[in-house]
Amino acid sequence: MQGSGLGQLNTRQIEKHLKSAVDTLTPNILEQIDFSVPQIKVSGQEQQNQVMLLRLQRRMRRLAAAAAACVCLVFIGGGSFYYHMENRRVESVIGIDVNPSVELSINRNGRVLKVRALNEDAVSIIDGMDLEGVDLNVAVNAVVGAMVTHGYLDDLDNAILVTVSNDSVRKARELRSSVVGDIEHVLKENQVEAVVYDQQVIEDEEIDAIARQYNISYGKAYFLKELIDQNQGLTMEDMEALSSMSMEEIAGRIAESSYALGELADQAEDPETTEETSQKPETSEETASVEETVTATESSETAAEETETTTAEETTTAPLATAPATEAQEEQPEEDTVEIDYVDYEEGMIYVCFLERVKWNTPSVVVRDRDGNSYAAMVSDSSRNDCFIEVDGLEGEKEYTFVLGGLCPAGSDTAVTVKGYFEVPEIASEILDEEDTQPEETEEREETEESEETEESSSRETDADDRKPTETETTVSETVKTEEEIESRTEPSSEDLKDSKEESS
Amino acid sequence: MNDEELLKQVGTGDEDAFRQLYHNTDRTVYSFILSILKNPQDAEEVMQETYLKIWTSAASYHSQGKPLAWIFTIARNLCYMRFRDQKRQADMGLDDLNGEETGELCLPLENLADAMVLRSALEILKEDERQIVLLHASAGLKHREIASNLQMPLATVLSKYNRAIKKLKQYLREE
Repeated sequence: MQGSGLGQLNTRQIEKHLKSAVDTLTPNILEQIDFSVPQIKVSGQEQQNQVMLLRLQRRMRRLAAAAAACVCLVFIGGGSFYYHMENRRVESVIGIDVNPSVELSINRNGRVLKVRALNEDAVSIIDGMDLEGVDLNVAVNAVVGAMVTHGYLDDLDNAILVTVSNDSVRKARELRSSVVGDIEHVLKENQVEAVVYDQQVIEDEEIDAIARQYNISYGKAYFLKELIDQNQGLTMEDMEALSSMSMEEIAGRIAESSYALGELADQAEDPETTEETSQKPETSEETASVEETVTATESSETAAEETETTTAEETTTAPLATAPATEAQEEQPEEDTVEIDYVDYEEGMIYVCFLERVKWNTPSVVVRDRDGNSYAAMVSDSSRNDCFIEVDGLEGEKEYTFVLGGLCPAGSDTAVTVKGYFEVPEIASEILDEEDTQPEETEEREETEESEETEESSSRETDADDRKPTETETTVSETVKTEEEIESRTEPSSEDLKDSKEESS
Repeated sequence: MNDEELLKQVGTGDEDAFRQLYHNTDRTVYSFILSILKNPQDAEEVMQETYLKIWTSAASYHSQGKPLAWIFTIARNLCYMRFRDQKRQADMGLDDLNGEETGELCLPLENLADAMVLRSALEILKEDERQIVLLHASAGLKHREIASNLQMPLATVLSKYNRAIKKLKQYLREE
């Protein structure tokens, strides 16, 4: 009964038929919904308990042993308690220091659980605000907006320190980027310019003690401790003087004395302060310790700051972020790049995941093999973090290169190209029951090794460069997008995927 | 207004929000249910039950940014309840209903090619493959949306999708 042409269907045709079939079959049942049926007005917790209880009751019928039922009851009680506690648990703490220092504790869903004023100035800032339960971005907007209103951010030499504390480096990185984005948005709306330093930290008793001793926020204590550790001209005796300074004064001091900003620090231009550059937070690395970044600098007059680019200590988790060659950095200080986190290839579909958010204009892609032959490919799906490339005609056991175009780093309008590699495994698509990402591993490991070498050499170059502060230098280890540069990057595959999964869990 | 906001509105008894949510999600929800039940008639009934449940329970939705995942959970539970009911009525094993052999699937489709491809998908693919294929190809969900809403790693979704399409191609070629 089937049409004779069905044997030759390609993926697109199959998809088209499936779509058409389901379109035709999908019924319209809207008119059959009886809106007079009363809605259940219970809290989510109660509802969850009810659903679970219902499940339990059904299971009970099948359970002969009463003891087993008891175990279930205990489990359910514990489960809902756990759920409740998880939402009440502080997962991350966001510190905002200008001179007023405010700390926002949020749960795993990004809702504010607690707001703390860490000094007297901050008390007036959050006075009258009821931020508990609101989304983090709303709270950040309110707090920074109030700082502007109260005149703490009003001239050209403002500085803000954003500190994110979270057990997951990756989560902290996302939060940091999101909070910095929110702050920049508020600043822009209020036409205020500011240096935004941001860092992500882990808990450290020593820092905690410093914070208590000098009555400053944990974030500021961390920032200053790093500053002192990284600069021979500073000692812990300077802590007292520094701790009493506002972030604006500290920023001034950093600029004046060209202090390095910490082992893992870097900085980028604030889009609103320097027209030709856009915000370009450095790709953060997964390290065993801490990460610190300055994502925006003030106007170029005060931006003479040293940076040290981060190097990946664990290449398996972030092998991509290699420091660029110094020369190139100087030549193209305003250029943006997009970093690939990893690439996955599976049966005609390349999945590319980016480390930072991207914007798409008109996506384009070219896929070539080592001999320069190109293959039909198109970007079939794209988002702020990733994209899918459909490609036809690749052979197994060969390495391919793709060059993506028509995308810009978030916060920039400059379109860039990104180059990446992948290998089509030798195996066989016929082995249908193979594990999902298995084929990529060997190839990616090889690339990772290459990347280690690249990192070592390039970070040496960058270190040398860091000793020469320049006025408009925007750090960022990733300001270059020459092909050679991008070629030196690699795409970890399934291992990363696992890592990220583990972390996020 | 996005689905999340619509769902919250539905929780306050807003019928217009419900209609909007319905229009935004009907194809997705139907695809999902059909992928589990494999039978258009049953799927229609369960779809109705699902939307009724959405209406009655929206107030209890906890905002987690995944309204679709919540809807899928409702739909999946109702599908499994239907399996149980059918099992009880027909006194037949769940595997028979869920598995390979339920006789020729009747799809009220005029286009023979559409019917053939959908029938093949429903008959030869495993449940998770059916879900992924129908959600992507029929409902237009992106792979990462499927991954997020079905709580699967993206790589798994991709892999299963490609594998399923390959199986389909092969099956259709041999048929």
